[in-house]
Amino acid sequence: MNRTIFKRRWFRISVIAVLALAAVLAPLELVPYANYQLTMIAVMGVAILGVNIITGYTGQISLGQSAFLGLGAYVTAYGVTEGWPVPLVFLLAAVIPGAVGLLIALPAVRLKGASIAMVTISLPIIADPLAKRLTDITGGSAGITVQWMSAPEWTGLADDQWRYYIVGAIALVFFVLAWNLTRGRIGRAFAIVRDNEAVATSMGISSYKYKVLAFTIASAYGGVAGFLYLAAVQYMSPATLSFIVGINLLAAMIIGGSASIIGSLFGGVFYVFIPVVAGQIDPSHTPIVYGAALLLILFLAPGGVVTLPRVLRRLMGRRTGRQQQPGGGDDQATESSAGKVTS
Amino acid sequence: MSARLSVADVFLQFGGITVLESVSFDVEPSTIFGLVGPNGAGKTSLFNCISGHYKPSAGSVSIDGEDVLPRAPSKLAHIGLARTFQHPALQLHSTVLDNVLLGGHCRLTGGALSWALRPPHIVRQERRIRQQAHETLERLDLDWAAGTMAGELPHALHKRVELCRALLSRPKLLLLDEPAAGLSHSEVEDLIAWLRNLRSEFGLTMIVVEHHMGLISAITDRVAVLNQGRKLMEGTAAEAQRDPRVVEAYLGGEAA
Repeated sequence: MNRTIFKRRWFRISVIAVLALAAVLAPLELVPYANYQLTMIAVMGVAILGVNIITGYTGQISLGQSAFLGLGAYVTAYGVTEGWPVPLVFLLAAVIPGAVGLLIALPAVRLKGASIAMVTISLPIIADPLAKRLTDITGGSAGITVQWMSAPEWTGLADDQWRYYIVGAIALVFFVLAWNLTRGRIGRAFAIVRDNEAVATSMGISSYKYKVLAFTIASAYGGVAGFLYLAAVQYMSPATLSFIVGINLLAAMIIGGSASIIGSLFGGVFYVFIPVVAGQIDPSHTPIVYGAALLLILFLAPGGVVTLPRVLRRLMGRRTGRQQQPGGGDDQATESSAGKVTS
Repeated sequence: MSARLSVADVFLQFGGITVLESVSFDVEPSTIFGLVGPNGAGKTSLFNCISGHYKPSAGSVSIDGEDVLPRAPSKLAHIGLARTFQHPALQLHSTVLDNVLLGGHCRLTGGALSWALRPPHIVRQERRIRQQAHETLERLDLDWAAGTMAGELPHALHKRVELCRALLSRPKLLLLDEPAAGLSHSEVEDLIAWLRNLRSEFGLTMIVVEHHMGLISAITDRVAVLNQGRKLMEGTAAEAQRDPRVVEAYLGGEAA
């Protein structure tokens, strides 16, 4: 027993080390477009991580993450154009969407289930025409192009490589913060608010307070993703904050793995690559292939991509005729993590 | 670590239905108080009034002289109130340890930013509460299950995990809703021993809703018998069992 855990641990550490090395070396070898795609995984991963904090961990459905991503991107575009220092712009890109999220959450989280989903989906629907009208700041429907975040001379890096490292480093920090947050006191409170509010109350946890907190943090993550988006793309238009994007971010969160930090990264991979793959398979039927991929993953691993190893292990066990434990803990875990989002 | 509970003239109504009618009793510090009565007598409703989940339409509930009704229910854990539920409400896909750790919430400090950044004092807090969670599990012979998913445990053990979770908050007043339901004879014996120990060691005040008269007789100092939302009588468990009104309430018809 102890030995297998020990083995597995070393196995994990070496896999992580190899992946980390690959992540550092990859941009030096890849073509600029591939670097751009990898950068976008980190960008969307942060946005999806925000959705995961409010929906996956705390159980409140948010379809409006694209609005906060958009706000963060426009704040960044404005600040950069005005020539403000980049650290200040970054701070504002996180704090302003966070504050807006807080103000919306104060009344909105009193609603339950489908009602809060409706409120959140209305955010990008309102933000879209707003962004089109406020042409001075947003450039209207045509969007706004900002040229910034170029590689400094001393690094000897190309722009795409430099942006990959900057975006990747910031995303890594926010993934680590989310990892810490969702474990320990606050994470346990989020989970019990999602699973059973009566128990939360009797443990001294105000469901209302923690829903507001989760929504605020999710909005700030959306804003940070907006900053990173502008760094990677150098362009922002109202199409990026449409409610379709909001729905896709939620879908990507579920695909990656609800209430899973690493699942959010898988969600980012799905968000960035599946449309590309679908387009290569059949350019005229991209949405159908996309939808089929979504269904296939949810059919194979209802708990998202993160639960795939567990599903595979169970299948292998069945093939070799080994019986799983009665009561099937794996089954329950998979079902319940899928159920978290719908309930 | 003990509290005095005072329930005075509590009325609870749902629409036109009166669930509790003028219920009063006092629980002295470091005593175990039993609430008994037939199904539908209002025992769990009374529990929910004390724990703040229901707001009585009249009357008062106070812990150590402090009126709890105006407080938000989620603030009561901070003044030393903890409870278990009639139907155990565990997070089945979390480990037993994580379930128990939830009870430590009101004893930990620090907001989202501190817990995300994990400075040394937060790391120390988390380590200490985990240590205490293991100790609590050990006390109730459950430490072997710390890493097990709660959903994989037999149902009879769920109540024990809940009890550990409630204990980790270091309550002064503990409300136990049918702790012996579904337990075997020897498990009830263990439970009696643990509850007695908890009282003698920590001076914990406890209120127990229970149908198991063996447990009631073994641990309670006093009991109140509820019937149809009213307090029928109050006294020792032995007095209650002899009382003709109680016999009538349970068996119906005329008492012998």
